[in-house]
Amino acid sequence: MAADPRVQDILDRALADIAGARSTSALEQVRVRVLGRSGELTALLRGLGKVPAADRPRVGQEANEVKGRLEEVLAARQEALKTEEHRQTLAARHLDLTLPGRVPAHGAMHPIIRVQDEIISIFEGLGFSVAEGPEVESDYYNFAALNFPDDHPARDMQDTFHVSADTVLRTHTSPVQIRAMKAQGPPVRIVCPGKVFRHDITDATHSPMFHQIEGLAVDRHITMADLKGTLDLFAREMFGPRSHVRFRPSFFPFTEPSAEVDVLCFKCGGDGCRFCKQSGWIEILGSGMVHPNVLRNVGYDPEEVTGWAFGMGVERVAILKYEIDDIRLFFENDMRFLGQFASASRELP
Amino acid sequence: MKISYRWLREFAETELPPETIADRLVNAGIEVASVQPLVEGLSGVVIAEIEAIEQDLGVTPAGHHNRLCRVALPDKSFSVVCGAPNAARGLRTAFAPPGATLPGGRAIKAAKIRGTQSEGMLCSEQELGIGEDGSGILELPADAPLGAPLSRYLGLDDTILEIEITPNRPDALSVVGVAREVAALTGAPFRFPQIAVKEGEIDAARIAEVEILDPDLSPRYAARVITGLTVKPSPPWLAQRLRSVGLRPINNLVDVTNYVLWEMGQPLHAFDYDTVAQHKIVVRRAQPGERIMTLDGQDRALTPGMLLICDPERPIGIAGVMGGASTEVTAKTTTVLLESAFFNPGSIRSTSRTLGLHTDAAYRFERGADIEGLREALDRAAQLMADLGGGTVAKGAIDVYPGPKPRPRITLRRSRIERVIGVCPPHEDVVRILQALGFAVDDSGLALQVVVPSFRRDIVQEDDLVEEVIRVWGYDKIPSALAGGGVLQPVIHPPALVLARAVTRALTSAGLSQAVTYAFVDPARLKVMGWDAPEALITLQNPISAERSVLQPSLAPGVLEVVALNGTRQIPDVRVFEIGQTFAPHREEDGDRPAHEELWLAVAMTGQRAPRAWHATRDRIDIYDVKGAAELAVYAAGVGDAETTLYAAGEGPRYLEQGRAAALSVGGRPVGWFGEVALGVRETFDLPAPVFLAELSLSALLDLPRRETRYQPLPRFPAVQRDLAIVVAAEVTAGQIEAAIRSMKLPLLSRLTLFDVYEGGQVGAGKRSLAWSLTYQAPDRTLTDREVNELHARIVAEISRRFGAEIRGV
Repeated sequence: MAADPRVQDILDRALADIAGARSTSALEQVRVRVLGRSGELTALLRGLGKVPAADRPRVGQEANEVKGRLEEVLAARQEALKTEEHRQTLAARHLDLTLPGRVPAHGAMHPIIRVQDEIISIFEGLGFSVAEGPEVESDYYNFAALNFPDDHPARDMQDTFHVSADTVLRTHTSPVQIRAMKAQGPPVRIVCPGKVFRHDITDATHSPMFHQIEGLAVDRHITMADLKGTLDLFAREMFGPRSHVRFRPSFFPFTEPSAEVDVLCFKCGGDGCRFCKQSGWIEILGSGMVHPNVLRNVGYDPEEVTGWAFGMGVERVAILKYEIDDIRLFFENDMRFLGQFASASRELP
Repeated sequence: MKISYRWLREFAETELPPETIADRLVNAGIEVASVQPLVEGLSGVVIAEIEAIEQDLGVTPAGHHNRLCRVALPDKSFSVVCGAPNAARGLRTAFAPPGATLPGGRAIKAAKIRGTQSEGMLCSEQELGIGEDGSGILELPADAPLGAPLSRYLGLDDTILEIEITPNRPDALSVVGVAREVAALTGAPFRFPQIAVKEGEIDAARIAEVEILDPDLSPRYAARVITGLTVKPSPPWLAQRLRSVGLRPINNLVDVTNYVLWEMGQPLHAFDYDTVAQHKIVVRRAQPGERIMTLDGQDRALTPGMLLICDPERPIGIAGVMGGASTEVTAKTTTVLLESAFFNPGSIRSTSRTLGLHTDAAYRFERGADIEGLREALDRAAQLMADLGGGTVAKGAIDVYPGPKPRPRITLRRSRIERVIGVCPPHEDVVRILQALGFAVDDSGLALQVVVPSFRRDIVQEDDLVEEVIRVWGYDKIPSALAGGGVLQPVIHPPALVLARAVTRALTSAGLSQAVTYAFVDPARLKVMGWDAPEALITLQNPISAERSVLQPSLAPGVLEVVALNGTRQIPDVRVFEIGQTFAPHREEDGDRPAHEELWLAVAMTGQRAPRAWHATRDRIDIYDVKGAAELAVYAAGVGDAETTLYAAGEGPRYLEQGRAAALSVGGRPVGWFGEVALGVRETFDLPAPVFLAELSLSALLDLPRRETRYQPLPRFPAVQRDLAIVVAAEVTAGQIEAAIRSMKLPLLSRLTLFDVYEGGQVGAGKRSLAWSLTYQAPDRTLTDREVNELHARIVAEISRRFGAEIRGV
């Protein structure tokens, strides 16, 4: 190739050494030896002055061509060796990608609180504010203001824990209605979540403490048709797009008319299954139009405003949603139970 | 309440099947729990007579005295083994010949019983599935038609509807009341029972007297006298009808009162006339010290104010609740004084509750009887008694009703129905529905004028009528709408809910799970935990158990119970928190809230820090884990950082170990504490391993000013890091040293991070090695080595001087 034997010699040996280099560091040694500051080719180029003037341009040109070629070859070899070395490094570190990952610590919201928040968020979307009230309540707020007369059998509907003659553990979230309406004038649109207490036998379907969510809407033009529409919408959000509600007449002292509300069974779509006890419907809440006496008790005029209210058991909804067969599980707090509710829930903002 | 379909159809002329009637009732607000045939699986049983006892077969090992009976049908006779004590020649009874079946699918075949061939079986009430009595075979009257199917004779081809009536509808607690509903719902004609009394010569008012001393509690009291009666068993149709609705037949007189109660809803009481002193009834409140022996044989102390039925000498009954034993109808009774009255519902309920005596009568009176209908019930029962007991009804009824009240009149506007419901049924439907339910309606004006019948005490205002109309018209006809218009209002969240959600999110993200525990706890455990003043606690008057009788003054017992429960289930690693109310007696600031309630967070942790895994450490949770959880919660509250203050001896919750607990505060305001659970408490809760607890008052955090997040410019010049490693006496706290450094107020010291704590080994007993990384930084320039060296040396000198620290590295 090169006419000059010295250049040719440098080239030949360099190519052989590059080919023979087994590591990037060995290759670097070759590069330094040939192209480094005091490398063979560098020295030759520097010593061109000693070359006879007639040969000088040719030798100089040849040396520069060789330098260029060697740099290319070095770079290619460098890339190849680097890739190989990386491959070997990885190969030396054995992996078992089926090992479980290091999952960051994660706890679970209690299923009751989770469902409660989900219900709240549905009503928030409809423009309802959240109101809260005390769990130890006066007889007045829990009963009298809600149109439960003294010594009336309606009081037997709610077996009551007493703290004193006129103080009780609230048996429902309805007293929050009274507090909220007393605190502000109409219009009122609130949901009231919280613990309630009934002196009940404890078994798979009864608990002395459970959670309710109260809903209340009072305004100039609120009708039972609005109640139905709102609960239909709630049922669709909570139980799926096919869901809707059915009203059955009932009795609550603080609503008139009153209705028990069933949702179309979301397991079978109304055909009948073990969840709905073959009826196609599942009872989920009590509701009605706010009784005129209740409106009068908080200083509202029943000729001016009307309203509806409902009270829903959160455990009931959670039991249906998660297919839980014993209400006591909620209050045992077995970590294996709680852990089942650790997955991210769509409902939380 | 059980309602017989046959009985119902005596008053509502309908051909609709029982299931359809049940559906209509449910859709009108009367729950029907079940619809079931009266007797299931009974076939082939006929009426037969025991012609002769052919042979005594002796007593079986089970104690039955078996006899071989010859049982006759009109055309044939059978030899049947029978162990019933009442099997006697001439008795007509229920006979299941071979081929008959009894309830439960029991097929009767000819078989050998203890070596004797028996061609069928004589049956008891119990075996027939028509009653409770299994002591002997069914006894039928001598005129019961031989060979006739028993089922037809007794009316057993019936269906029973088990209905549930809400407390506002006492009028529906009777066959007639349900029939009226059914008629209104189906359009069937409603027939009120035809009542005509055949009266005798003697004037009732001349032989008996009634005086009401307390008309506020007994506004009406009516009575009749029936003479010349014979007490005997009720005829089969009556006995069977009572059995079919779950009542036990007793004798003809008592059975009549129960029958009329069931049919018309009016409780009645029969006194043995001859045992009532001066044949005079006095209705009055109890006086102090009075007692009565009731029908059930209990001697009961009466509270002043309870309404009594008395004669001039003594109490003879607790009004509306239970009669007295001294005037009870017995086998010897020939004359009955029959009571039909109205008693004040609240008074009856209060008496019944005070005595713990819940009877069918009290159940109806406390819901409200029909003050006008009681006369019809009285007449019906008196005539039935006379018919069935061979007696005579004395002329006239004694009826004390000093202040009859007019029936209420209510105006019903169709516009109101529309206003409340969103829709209004056609005018004719509104009128028809109300009339069918027993209301008198005048529809000549713009609004309806409605007169409420005396049996509908629940109807007092216009909206009550709105409900009546709509529930019969059909809730399914109410459209589904959404309230439109109105003024948009912002959605408001209570700060407590916002904070609880933020803390919940932070802690669950950090690997803790949320618990919800009962709000009532065990006072014995609270005592061990240091609550020894009962007046600081709220105790339930009627707890479900002593262990759940006090409202939680702290969430600590609840979360410790969670740890304990998991421990018993072989789950030793628990990282749990709860957010809930704590309860203390009312304070001034609580206003009209009866108790002092605060929102708290409790964290309990025990066991391994991380779930066991191939990559996890096996470190055990320690006190710094709960401290960190509490700090995270405070951080999530956005009110600044938590500060730790060690408790002096005797300070802090008694359920935490002395010296292993500290107070938490924010900006100098106490907000909670953390520590290790004391050994005695662990033993009480059965917690073998150390448990760490933190509690924070979220209410206190809510009172603190929120610190808004503000962006800090990122440093533009490089930082310089220097370490400070010292050995100090073990009592010197890291907090003290950090406070000392901070108190030097060095603006260029931007960060102080404790990165190593070491005890033991070369450090020496009673000493501790601590190491910090200090970051120096200026916002406006690169610091020089000289500057940093000088600052660091000042810190080293200060720490060395103040704490006698040995400097191990700088």
